[in-house]
Amino acid sequence: MRKHALLLTLALMGAAAAQTVTVGLDADPPRLDPALSTALVDRQVLNQIFDKLVDLDQNLKIVPALAKSWKVTNGGLTYTFTLRTDVKFHDGTPFNAAAVKYTLERNMTLEGSGRKNELSSVKEVKVVNPSTVQITLKQPYAPLLAVLSDRAGMIVSPTAAQKAGENFQNAPVGAGAFEFVSRKRQDNITLAANPSYWDGKPKIDKLVYRPFPDGDVRAANLLSGAVQVITPIDPKDISKLDKNAKFDVMNYPGLGFQGIWFNVTRAPFNSKAVRQAVAATIDREAVAKVVFYDTVVPAAGPFPPGTPAASKTAQPPKANVTFARQKLAGKPLTFTMLTAPGSVNTQLAQLYQAMFAQAGINAKIEQVEFGTLLDRADRKDFDALMLGWSGRPDPDGNIYDFFVTGGTNNQAGYSNKEVDALLARARTQTNLSSRVATYNVALGKIREDSPYIWVYHQSNLVATVKGLTGLKPIPDGIVRFKDADLK
Amino acid sequence: MLVFALRRLLSAIPTLLIVTLVVFAMVQLLPGDPARLLLGEEATPQALAELRRSLGLDRPLPEQYLRWLFDVLHFDFGASVRDHTSVSSLIAEKLPTTMQLAGFAMLIAMLIALPAGILGALKRGSWVDQVLTLFALSGISLPNFFLGILLIYVFSIRLAWVPASGYVGFFEDPVKNLLLLVLPAITLGVHSAAVLARYLRGSLIETLFQDYVRTAHAKGVSGARVTFRHALRNALIPVVTAFGLQLGGLLGGAVITEQIFSVPGFGRLLVDAVYTRDLPVIQGVVLVSAVAVFLVSFAVDLLYAALDPRIRYQ
Repeated sequence: MRKHALLLTLALMGAAAAQTVTVGLDADPPRLDPALSTALVDRQVLNQIFDKLVDLDQNLKIVPALAKSWKVTNGGLTYTFTLRTDVKFHDGTPFNAAAVKYTLERNMTLEGSGRKNELSSVKEVKVVNPSTVQITLKQPYAPLLAVLSDRAGMIVSPTAAQKAGENFQNAPVGAGAFEFVSRKRQDNITLAANPSYWDGKPKIDKLVYRPFPDGDVRAANLLSGAVQVITPIDPKDISKLDKNAKFDVMNYPGLGFQGIWFNVTRAPFNSKAVRQAVAATIDREAVAKVVFYDTVVPAAGPFPPGTPAASKTAQPPKANVTFARQKLAGKPLTFTMLTAPGSVNTQLAQLYQAMFAQAGINAKIEQVEFGTLLDRADRKDFDALMLGWSGRPDPDGNIYDFFVTGGTNNQAGYSNKEVDALLARARTQTNLSSRVATYNVALGKIREDSPYIWVYHQSNLVATVKGLTGLKPIPDGIVRFKDADLK
Repeated sequence: MLVFALRRLLSAIPTLLIVTLVVFAMVQLLPGDPARLLLGEEATPQALAELRRSLGLDRPLPEQYLRWLFDVLHFDFGASVRDHTSVSSLIAEKLPTTMQLAGFAMLIAMLIALPAGILGALKRGSWVDQVLTLFALSGISLPNFFLGILLIYVFSIRLAWVPASGYVGFFEDPVKNLLLLVLPAITLGVHSAAVLARYLRGSLIETLFQDYVRTAHAKGVSGARVTFRHALRNALIPVVTAFGLQLGGLLGGAVITEQIFSVPGFGRLLVDAVYTRDLPVIQGVVLVSAVAVFLVSFAVDLLYAALDPRIRYQ
């Protein structure tokens, strides 16, 4: 009898300790479908619901996930994946090679899919047997595994996706550590622990995401105990939260870069000397210190330190006003720089403006809403503009599309045949060190041409209540809650 | 009275049609391309063209307008380009939240404005009046976002009396609902309270100098009775108009307040829709707001006519 009572008490205690972790994000994730998602913030939620073929570890190494192992053969043209056989989707559908084939083909064909570009090198996906799937490429594409560690490799339940059609994003079903429960726009997205997760049931029972677009409001909600995690933190709040004994701050390098584009298709920046002059005025250390309280890293190129392609030798250039004046040779320079709204953007733009002025360069700041900024970038209707990139684990994702002739993210309108050839060659090289060598040659030419100034690499800034453990600083910035525990 | 109401309603039809045209044109004037924003970093020219076609954005503007108007007349506001939720269901989900917030804010505004306005008028020129004027001026000039953050800091973080943000439906948990809404309602209501108090004070002072008030005093009616029975009723007429205008303005104020307190209402829906260029949602929300403002001003007109019979015959 007594034993029963004890068990009952323990059971009640267990029930009472049902753990909910609420996470404050900076935006309401727009689309919870791995194929349709185009916003960075979506990935925070998608990653918990959908398991991927492969994942990244803290050192950006590709590690097994739904695929236990893989082999690359045929000169980099064939990828054969051996899959886990003990996995079920949240709706009970078994995970197998057919589900992988369905997902990848859906990513490549669904109308409005944002994955088409990433998977454009895929020729065929073949089911060899239920636990083996083979991807054949049109030409070698070294970034494939990295691409499969993100949304393109998130495997959806074929039954659920077929049944829901366009509505799948409102009822996403994957095989991840957490199941989708409900969402209320602008309010919350609620997930529950997947009790039969192949890698063990998560320790927390419920995961709730809430959007707080304003950084002060996000911090206020952490301080008041309404949420247990916020990401990102405004740089100005870091030391405040860090000093507070009730919170932990995680600050680890990200994958992206931020800087300034020059429109090389029209005056004044169709002149290489002018671009070099403006680029030489930037004091990256000052930017990191003044605007970001040293939470960002000055950039020497598109690859952040700590990532495999980061140059061990290239140091971020120092400001050189004399060089800038020489390059301008006494000719006056006036231009307009576009930026999106936001306090950090405004501060950055004004700091840049002051740095330009030291070399006698007169820059006007024009602040336009983000949609307009993208639009004008596409139409090449600007002189200079401030825009960066969230970053990708494979180096290709940080360079190819930005500097190849006609690339979607090539805001400068930059075109250099040699660079095109080098970037294309790097894609086909399976040996990482030879790829990096190719990138370094390409980067030398891009630096010389200066269509873009890399200024800094942003960091991932996460604040949590003390007692929340098990979060790993993975550079893609996505906080994984599978091993999280709240004491 | 009925004829007056009907005439007012009929005259609204062309106005509302113009509103639809303005709403549509306004949304078209928004810079930036919805397809570009939806696809963001992943946009390729093919994907952009495909998405524009599927959203109907490649059709001529007059055709887009007529299609939209036709649907709107059938109470079909289309579907969000973001996740295909129907706009009417989004509005039905968010509007009651904002209406509750606005109602609560108006209640707070009246609770402050009535005594403050009356006291200010009766004690005009005194130090009480001056203090009240000072408060009213700060209430008018204090921006929502500042007051909101200040209230969160004091009452949520320092004192921990109320949660900092969020929303629970009234029927789910009435106590929590009121606790969550009290700070946003104060933030939203303070401005209206200040404006209404000023209106009431001015209007009441003017009325107190009218002949009939002097007559009443001369006949020996008590001071309180004169103020509340005779003067206040007439002084309230312009205040009712101001009240109507304020109520319309609350929808605009709610945009910022809801943003600060993370209240998932109409304002946040609009802000989010503008950020993502979700055209059907923007059009639906703006149109419904326009109709709401119209209905409020219609109700105010009727109330006005009821309070002052002279209005009806003009």
